[in-house]
Amino acid sequence: MLHTVIAAASGDVTKAGKAIALALGIGLGSLGAGIGIGNIFGSMIQSVARQPELRGELQGIQWLGFALTEAVVFYGLIGGLLAYVLV
Amino acid sequence: MRYRLLTVALLALALPSAASARGEFDPSEEFQQHEWVSIHLGGLNLSITKAVVYLFLGAGLTMLLGIVLMRVRIPGRRQAAGVIVYEIAQTQVAEQGLPSKHVGRWFPYVATLMLFIWTVNMLGFLPLPLTGETWHGVPTWGIYAATSSLSVTLALAILTFIFTHVEGIRWNGPVHYFKSWIPEVPKALLPLIIPLEILGQFMRLISLSVRLYANMLAGHMLILTFIGLMFVLENVFLAIVVVPAATAFYLFEVVIVVSIQAFIFAALSAIYIGSAIEPEH
Repeated sequence: MLHTVIAAASGDVTKAGKAIALALGIGLGSLGAGIGIGNIFGSMIQSVARQPELRGELQGIQWLGFALTEAVVFYGLIGGLLAYVLV
Repeated sequence: MRYRLLTVALLALALPSAASARGEFDPSEEFQQHEWVSIHLGGLNLSITKAVVYLFLGAGLTMLLGIVLMRVRIPGRRQAAGVIVYEIAQTQVAEQGLPSKHVGRWFPYVATLMLFIWTVNMLGFLPLPLTGETWHGVPTWGIYAATSSLSVTLALAILTFIFTHVEGIRWNGPVHYFKSWIPEVPKALLPLIIPLEILGQFMRLISLSVRLYANMLAGHMLILTFIGLMFVLENVFLAIVVVPAATAFYLFEVVIVVSIQAFIFAALSAIYIGSAIEPEH
């Protein structure tokens, strides 16, 4: 946002476009991961409510799923940063 | 009183105070490596940089942690902590991924991986006078994690990658092992599936290393950017907003991300090695 405004003010359209692309990429990436993480914790709450004795076993799987889903945002972030810096 | 403070803060934020003269701040500078002790062997660059010093520290602390937590004569709180760490490594990491016959052989590797990554990650959130910059002769303190450098995480991922395939070939034989990569599909699909499966094996390498690297990099970048906003916009009243935000992210990283990433790296290593030792078909 800040970069976009500065770049637009100075008339550097390429830079502005790259900044918008980076922000959009990260934003959409976190949208997907947000839905995924919500799903994981929602299912965890449901399953613990149904079978509280399985909590310990489920917790390991839950954190595994959380980290795998969360990492997706960072692939987007790294890709976006690479595009921003290199292209 | 609180409302008055809030009004003052909002007014200070709204004022375009020196908005035209922006300070120079680039969070990526914090992650640059400068050669402190230059060591060049032929084409190899083995210089000691910030990340190397952090890795040495991390390795030393990991060993210390093991000795302090595990070698206890009198049972007490220290031993209880050691037992918890051991139990997580045993039941949640090793036994989840490895076949029960091979837990003994690969438990030391995955448990060390977990402890080492946890220590290095944790070191990244303790302010240490290792920034390499001085302020009037006094070294400035800063936060930096060795795992926020792709070389470090890639080296760890390559270790797991090599062990996976060496173990797979050793226990199944090369022909049977490489055949096990390819799922049973109609013959017509094979030209499509084989390159994808081979690519998938190398994608593991990338996903394993980039996950840890990007998590630590993004965590540090977020904290630095929030604090740096004060200097970019040259408005000290921004501290009212950015310091709590940076603290919240700091706590999130320290409490959740550091442990989760260490756990995930070790658990996935165990799963990869386990699935190579005993392929599903």
